[in-house]
Amino acid sequence: MAPPAPTASIPAPGWTCPYCPLLCDSLQMPAPDAAGLRPLGTDCPRALRALADLAPAASPSALVNGQPVPLGTALAAAAQVLRNSRQPLFAGLGSDVAAQRVLVGLAQHTGAVCDAINGRAFFDAVRALQDRGAYNTTLAEVRNRADLIVCFGGSPRARLPEIWRRLGLGDDLVAARHVVFIGGDADALAELHGLNGITAEALALQGDLFDTAALLAAAVAGRPAPAPLQALAQALQAASYAVIMWEGGQLPLHGGLIIETLNRVVALLNRKTRAAALPLGGGDGAATANQVQTWLTGLPLRSRTAAAGIEHEPLCFDGQALLADSAVDALLWLQAFDGHAVPPATPGLPRIVIGPAAMAARLPAQDGTDVFIAVATPGIGSDGHLFRTDGVVLMPLHQVADQGLPTPAGVVRQLHEQLRALP
Amino acid sequence: MSTLSLHGGRVIDPTNGIDGQPRDILVRDGRIVDALDGPADEHIDITGCVVMAGGIDLHTHIGGGKVNLARLLLPEDHRNGANAIARPDNPLELASCGTCTPGTLHTGYRYAEMGYTSAFEPAMVAANARHAHMEMGDVPILDHGAYVMLGNDELFLELLAGCRSEGDYAQIRDYVAWTIHATKAMGVKVVNPGGISAFKFNQRKLDVDEGHVHWGVTPRRVVHTLTRALRELGVPHPLHIHGSNLGVAGNIESTLQTIDALEGLPAHLTHIQFHAYGREGPKKFSSAALQLAEAVNANPNVSIDVGQIMFGQTVTASGDTMRQHANSDLANPRKWIGSDIECDAGCGVVPFRYREQSYVNALQWAIGLEIFLLVNDPWRVVLTTDHPNGGPFTSYPHLIRLLTDRSFRNEQLARLHPDIAANSALGQITRELSLYEIAIMTRAAPARLLGLKERGHLGAGAAADIAVYREQADHEAMFTTPEYVFKDGTLVARAGRITAVPTGGTHYVEPGYDSTIEKTLRRHAQRHASVAYDNLVIGHDELCRCCNGGRLLPTACFDAAKEGST
Repeated sequence: MAPPAPTASIPAPGWTCPYCPLLCDSLQMPAPDAAGLRPLGTDCPRALRALADLAPAASPSALVNGQPVPLGTALAAAAQVLRNSRQPLFAGLGSDVAAQRVLVGLAQHTGAVCDAINGRAFFDAVRALQDRGAYNTTLAEVRNRADLIVCFGGSPRARLPEIWRRLGLGDDLVAARHVVFIGGDADALAELHGLNGITAEALALQGDLFDTAALLAAAVAGRPAPAPLQALAQALQAASYAVIMWEGGQLPLHGGLIIETLNRVVALLNRKTRAAALPLGGGDGAATANQVQTWLTGLPLRSRTAAAGIEHEPLCFDGQALLADSAVDALLWLQAFDGHAVPPATPGLPRIVIGPAAMAARLPAQDGTDVFIAVATPGIGSDGHLFRTDGVVLMPLHQVADQGLPTPAGVVRQLHEQLRALP
Repeated sequence: MSTLSLHGGRVIDPTNGIDGQPRDILVRDGRIVDALDGPADEHIDITGCVVMAGGIDLHTHIGGGKVNLARLLLPEDHRNGANAIARPDNPLELASCGTCTPGTLHTGYRYAEMGYTSAFEPAMVAANARHAHMEMGDVPILDHGAYVMLGNDELFLELLAGCRSEGDYAQIRDYVAWTIHATKAMGVKVVNPGGISAFKFNQRKLDVDEGHVHWGVTPRRVVHTLTRALRELGVPHPLHIHGSNLGVAGNIESTLQTIDALEGLPAHLTHIQFHAYGREGPKKFSSAALQLAEAVNANPNVSIDVGQIMFGQTVTASGDTMRQHANSDLANPRKWIGSDIECDAGCGVVPFRYREQSYVNALQWAIGLEIFLLVNDPWRVVLTTDHPNGGPFTSYPHLIRLLTDRSFRNEQLARLHPDIAANSALGQITRELSLYEIAIMTRAAPARLLGLKERGHLGAGAAADIAVYREQADHEAMFTTPEYVFKDGTLVARAGRITAVPTGGTHYVEPGYDSTIEKTLRRHAQRHASVAYDNLVIGHDELCRCCNGGRLLPTACFDAAKEGST
């Protein structure tokens, strides 16, 4: 029998939504009822979609070559895959700090290359940072201070549905804010319609995103540029606190060039006035995996521990390219948040997938050894920690349901123990 | 139960007044004892060695957001030219590398090999506290703790701007205590008092008696208020101050004004070398070490750490966005990261190369050494390089040789920019620090300044954190590779090789406060913050998870009323 529906008079436990890098936490999650988990305080479609995807309890928790098996059998098969591999790839990397801490040890043991989910976009941003640096800001600074917000590439709301609320648009902390969309969907202006104190405009691209970024930088540096960008440059120079934001995952190939240019715009502005960047992304555990790997070893993802030492190759260790080139002989895919984020099809490649139970049915067909282990999602079936989009705040995640599944950290730890025990 | 006896070494234990006398060190279950009931389980002959308590670094940037940004910014610090840095041949070590921005694992291994057993992260941003504790928990072997930054958060400045009565002040004091509680901090640090916030309002300079462009409060008031609050809360480590105008020629004036703002209350002035500059001489940049030392000698309420610079590549990682932005054109390699953080703090990461042939850098080097040698009371001086800002912590043995060996020091001085010898008193200073004084500056004094009663000495009841050094004329070699290092009685390093990797503990304090402040903070969080109030406090269970299951080491606060006003 389903438990009684919660009433408003009984406070439900706090919930941090783990499903996008905004990590909204002013939410409550009553105990699940027959329809599953239904949070209070949000109608975020991304969160509701992800919660609806949490699989029914009847889903098998471990599979080897499509057959349900006990967890121990799956772990033994997974350990054998790693034992037989000369060059594994660890990808997906969607988990919490606890799992990534133990995954680093397993990766070093096996000499695995590690890459983030959507590693190309993620590393475009990392490489821009490694090459030139950046000046960034955080959600509370934007909320309390920003009077001009430039969304380069358009509105991020489709991926980050709560973005405007999280940035405080419409509240009275800043009397008047102006939002400028550059490129992207034409109806972005409607998203902000009627919000208190907000004016908005949409600027067309001047060429493509690369051209537009370069022309904006020229305008801010006082060189010739098309009139709309000249006007924007003047507004940026006149603002008390201007914020330029973009979604790394939505930028085209080689988006690092755009990021580098926008960082240069911010740096130019900061010589006389105040401005900062707010890159959006790093969700599904990518930023967390990168932070943990970096602090433990000194080097970020796209690294491996080889006989010679830790090799960091931000171009060569592109997981997607390594799979396409058949340059690895085993894949470990860890993604505990998004049940739709399945690994690419890799026929014949021995594969270990650690993910939400609902992922099992969506995996591309496989004819090599194929291990699937279902895990609890941090922030649903276990506590945990994730880095927010600004990279500063490490949010605590709270368990709100009993998924009856092991944690990602627990599975990785047991897998490492099994591997150590193999001859 | 396990017991250990170290026999035949000369003991240097300044806390207990022991200066080189031969005596046995006895350990039972991780503690030092006066006597054992029977023969020790393990008996080690350490004839020819000097025994000290494990080293304590009270100011070293070992973990947290800006440290990880520094690692991310400098992959070149983790490569050997085009090649990888060789991985450890010790199966107890995971691969981890870096010199000025080492991974946390490398940090723990290398500190322990050098005889250090505790390290304190001095600049924890409240909004980033969980991250800082995670990284410190991943520094193996060492005990650790952190000072949370206050004095640039908009709430503090707002409360201070509106502070008209003792009741208003009490609210600020409660807020300070709550912040320490929420972030599980060991103390409080203020960085460029008010200046980080002021930079967000586009103010580019803030002198000690200058008003914050928005809140109107002065750094003098920020410093005095925080100093007084910590004193009244009984927090053992007094306010940790990174003063105004870091790195600016003539900033000795700000430093002396900051000491004046204390009005006799205790405070710790950190990386003081960066705050002891005059504007005399041909380059309008000169040593003010003598003035600084006179002020420290005359004000027994003041302690310092030096922040010695070392020549070579490093990176400066600081909360001081105002000054880091001003210095960012000097970045080498030419790239840097800055950040405005959560209406709370900031950070700036600027790579830097200190060059022997640069007049300014060479004088900075000389100023640091002058300060070490001109301050009379070693109990108020702590040996630091402000790792990595002045240089990496692995340069401590070299620094010890510079301080204890005048001829070596003068040889180094002769290699520098030719004008340095003429414009620095260093060449004339004959003082050589003794090993006893080094032991004070590297373990006994930091333990006392932090209120750690069981660390930093070798008396009965102390934790068995012990470093055993082979006596030799070359103190750099001696302090680079101790023969034995014990952490809580466990042998963790033997002659430069890690032998065990225990998880360190977390030091923190829990001062009391009036819980009515929580209503104000909840209201403020709802209106201004991006994290729900209920997620702001790190509980003990969560701290344990952050710190990898290491022990929690609460340090007692003192009763300010009983201790009087000084």
